[in-house]
Amino acid sequence: MERRNFIKSICAATAVAAVASPSALLAKDAPKGGNVLTYDAAVVAITGGKAVTDSDKVKLTVPEIAENGAVVPVKINVESPMTDADYVKAIHILTTKNGNARSADIMLTPMNAKGYFATRIKLAGTQDVVALVELSDGSFLRAAKPVKVTIGGCG
Amino acid sequence: MAEARKSMIKFKPKKFKVGDVIKVDFIVIHPMETGTRKDKKTGKIKPAKYIDSITFSLDGKPFTSMKVWETVSTNPYFSVNMKVPGKGKITVDYTDNTGEKNSKSKKLKPKG
Repeated sequence: MERRNFIKSICAATAVAAVASPSALLAKDAPKGGNVLTYDAAVVAITGGKAVTDSDKVKLTVPEIAENGAVVPVKINVESPMTDADYVKAIHILTTKNGNARSADIMLTPMNAKGYFATRIKLAGTQDVVALVELSDGSFLRAAKPVKVTIGGCG
Repeated sequence: MAEARKSMIKFKPKKFKVGDVIKVDFIVIHPMETGTRKDKKTGKIKPAKYIDSITFSLDGKPFTSMKVWETVSTNPYFSVNMKVPGKGKITVDYTDNTGEKNSKSKKLKPKG
């Protein structure tokens, strides 16, 4: 019973949050200074300028059209043996037009057994979602996908 | 005393054996306030309040960690995989940008 009530409260709370427009997240409205990085700066901060290879090994799943920019599901699956010798060290989820390009970093270990991560992020408008993957050998892979976002109830 | 923040750890599937790779989902009620939205009544900016760090541990040993920003959705959901090594306790420790610290645990009970 407690679990059912918990799930109900999540749905109610998320529905309320969904009405709020995330458009204030666009780059032009972002709070200046501090830790907020735009996409290119975030990539450099993560990779240190190292080469990044676009790779089919990174399977990024996002909706083509997001019904609600406040809650966009993102799923990443990286083909990897996930052994001590060869595993996915980190997955960085970035967006190309949010004021803060960073959404989440996940640091994995071989115990995870799969290079998998899923979450839900906010998109301020139509843009690309990017999965920047760091492997245990220090190399970087990437996959990017566009998401169309319609904002506002009036269309 | 403040009420503990509501959160849930889910294993998928619910029934599993030692050696199986399961999904570990974590979901938590949290505003993930960006600090860019205005309160419509007062006209003041709502201060940023968002989870910024999460660690998953098994019997006290971390095996997954995350850095999170305000761009993650309200009432966030996170999902990872784990190979079940045996019986134990999974703990998710998380903090937010205001320094609020929370923790949620769930027993890992493989069958056979």
